[in-house]
Amino acid sequence: MLFRPKILGLFLHPINRITLRQVSTARSFGEKVIPPVSSPPSSSKLTVQQALDKWTVCFQVAGVSESVLSSQHIVSHVLGHKTLNSLSRKGLSRVLSQPQVERIWKLCHKRLTRMPVQYVIEEWDFRDLTLKMKPPVFIPRPETEELVGLVLADLEESRVGSRCPDSHVHFLEVGCGSGAISLSLLHSHTQIRGMAVDQSAEAVALTKENAQSLGLHDRLTVNQADVIKDAEWLMGSCGRVEVLVSNPPYLFTEDLESLEPEIHRYEDRAALDGGRQGMCVIEQILTLAPSLLADCGRVYLEVDPRHPELIQMQLRDNRLWGLDYVATHKDFTNRPRFCILQRRPGNG
Amino acid sequence: MALHGLRLYQCVRGILGFGHYSRPGSLSDIFTGWPQSQVAGKKMYFNLPEVKEEDLEEQFVRGAGPGGQATNKTSNCVVLKHTPTGIVVKCHQSRSVEQNRKMAREILRVRLDVVLRGEEGEVLRKKAEAMQRKQEKRRRANENLERKRLFKQNLLEGIATTPMTRTETTTTTTATPTEDDKNSKD
Repeated sequence: MLFRPKILGLFLHPINRITLRQVSTARSFGEKVIPPVSSPPSSSKLTVQQALDKWTVCFQVAGVSESVLSSQHIVSHVLGHKTLNSLSRKGLSRVLSQPQVERIWKLCHKRLTRMPVQYVIEEWDFRDLTLKMKPPVFIPRPETEELVGLVLADLEESRVGSRCPDSHVHFLEVGCGSGAISLSLLHSHTQIRGMAVDQSAEAVALTKENAQSLGLHDRLTVNQADVIKDAEWLMGSCGRVEVLVSNPPYLFTEDLESLEPEIHRYEDRAALDGGRQGMCVIEQILTLAPSLLADCGRVYLEVDPRHPELIQMQLRDNRLWGLDYVATHKDFTNRPRFCILQRRPGNG
Repeated sequence: MALHGLRLYQCVRGILGFGHYSRPGSLSDIFTGWPQSQVAGKKMYFNLPEVKEEDLEEQFVRGAGPGGQATNKTSNCVVLKHTPTGIVVKCHQSRSVEQNRKMAREILRVRLDVVLRGEEGEVLRKKAEAMQRKQEKRRRANENLERKRLFKQNLLEGIATTPMTRTETTTTTTATPTEDDKNSKD
């Protein structure tokens, strides 16, 4: 690892060579230090491509994951774009203004501390929405976009079929985080209304903020509530819903220790820790589901790949009641990721 | 045949090269059906070939790792392969994996149109029409320039001829009076 910087240094632009020498010195002391990256060049002209290259190398040498993508996302963001694809060919050779250079440097320094890109640029996309991101509120994962797709597909089918009359569909989201699922549903389906709850005050605030920015706040109620501690309140305040959707904390407690620094250091642990076998919150949601769901209502959950089996076992053992298992869906990495259950008619 | 292939290739590159892809024209979800019209690049297409999901193989460049809540990666590149034709499309235009999946399918449909229907297809026909319009515009612009050039030339020639005759007559009339004056003095 110590050899690489020197070899790379031979082929790099002077700015990069200086940085690499500084980094090698830092590492040779045997401490784990953040490399002393040079402060933004004040007089020299830096193009977009040069800034990208410089920071890609810095991230690589510092061991920051996704070095290329990190610099691309940050630089694009500073230029007012979402991705580099919005830039023309000439755009890459355009010279950056001093304020732009300073902003890029500031944000990239944050990334050096392994802060997730989404927190660095304070936004991220989820399906066709752009949401504000703020630590420690959980960052929506791309898998969850499919969960929303499943709910929408079902709603479309029930509109055409006979499962549920489509007068006014109500949903409840448990553990809304930044509001990704709820706001996506509201954005894509105009006849839907809902409630989102989260045990974190920061998550509630962020969901409300995103709802306001997207003009969806009139169809969404957001409350701070813990699905375990505030179960009674929840059942009293939330009427019967056709859709109960959640991406609950589903990691096994023992797996939390091996998480990458981006998650470990910056994201809310309570949004990840599902307790023993990662099932604590899932079990609670499924226990309350028959009382929260309307007659033809369904639960849609994102889970760990080991959970579909565990959930079906609990249903067979009668530890969960009032629900029929409908289907397990795989995510785009071909892992079992989504569980759909339906309220058994006549109960509750 | 080789030239035809080269032209097709250039057309496809031109259409699908480095450029900005806007959002799909319709927000119809990927699971609930195909939008009526596609926007790929800055053009709208209405009659692209349909693709069946069973003919597609999707791969996501997300690296190894547990996925889901246990991973936070920003890479969401979608690689889509159309098995009957072997066409492979890659898309990482957006920060959302669902959007990339949609766009990859649209790009695939555009490419299918070029490959399957060639010059009879919507994509190449629209491109040929656009090129014709451009050529027509260029021809008219050149005509205008030529007309202006001729006008300017005529104008300059006009200025050159008329003032020259007036100066000649002035010199002849001034010459004769001095000779007469001289004669009268004697």
